[in-house]
Amino acid sequence: MVRMGELAVSRTSGHVLASIGLGSCIGLVLVERSRSLAGLAHIVLPESAGKDDVAAGKFADSAVPALLAELSSLGARRSRLEAVLVGGAQMFALKSSTSMDIGKRNEQAARAALEQLGVTVSAAATGGNLGRTVRVYVDGGRVTVKQPGAPEEELFAGAAQVGSLR
Amino acid sequence: MPESYPDLHLDALRELANIGSGTAATALSRMLGRPVDISVPTALALPMADAVEAVGAPDTLITAVVLPLVGDLDAIALLMFGAPDAATLCGLLGVEADSEMGISALAEIGNILGCAYIGALSTMTQLALEPCPPETATDMLGAIVASVLATTAEDTDTALLLDSELTVEGAECALSFMLAPGRDGVAEILARLGLGE
Repeated sequence: MVRMGELAVSRTSGHVLASIGLGSCIGLVLVERSRSLAGLAHIVLPESAGKDDVAAGKFADSAVPALLAELSSLGARRSRLEAVLVGGAQMFALKSSTSMDIGKRNEQAARAALEQLGVTVSAAATGGNLGRTVRVYVDGGRVTVKQPGAPEEELFAGAAQVGSLR
Repeated sequence: MPESYPDLHLDALRELANIGSGTAATALSRMLGRPVDISVPTALALPMADAVEAVGAPDTLITAVVLPLVGDLDAIALLMFGAPDAATLCGLLGVEADSEMGISALAEIGNILGCAYIGALSTMTQLALEPCPPETATDMLGAIVASVLATTAEDTDTALLLDSELTVEGAECALSFMLAPGRDGVAEILARLGLGE
């Protein structure tokens, strides 16, 4: 379980990384499928504005390099990493300025941070107004998404199933 | 690092929640023509990562009414109904739960309870607080609570939650009421209660 502001990496066979109930938050997945290395960050807000004593996964601009660093220490090669973004919904159409579509801003900030580090976004399930649960199956790096009232669906195929990529 | 609030401050906030939810229970009771009980509220200051699970299982499907507050402080009031509770409440009001009418009835309950709660808070703290129009959503508890907390999480990793439970007597129906103030909001409330630094 990767909860608000947390991040986790794994290369353990059989492990599943999950964030349950992403609303405006973004589940940022980085995987190196061929070597079954996976990481997941539960991003809450777009910009850290220089704050450094916060949870590693909280802000998009600091979570992306932090997750990359953790994966590198497990031996991941940046050029082989692929990113998947899940979440960033607008749960409420609130009018107050502080909550101006945090979901969309989170997605933009995550994409910008990934681009800066040269990591490709291979799949995304973002936006809309429904929550999502993301699961990352470490073996092969398969990523699934589940929305309320719907079954778990594959968003990104694992290494063993290359070719069935949607 | 998450900051902590001394017990005295949490006690004061809990008392505030108690009076707020008492007023809200009276309003609900009048609306339904039935007695409504309130639980002793909890005031929790938690690391953000722990906050969602303190409210409930993140994958539970709930209907929520969100009332953003503006004025002297920023906060969000959140009412949460489990799916069976929402159906029971709608039944008591004579509307279908899964219809537009049902959602609108729940939004109205949220609005009335929220305004009662906020009115009590306003009176006690002498803060001018105004609720914005309510928004409703039916979704996973985690997605709803996290999205509310995100709006108050900019400056702090500590989530402050005031949580009360209202139970409609003889109808097996409960709802919970949560107030999530931003950090400046908490400081302001405490100062008004004579507990400022």
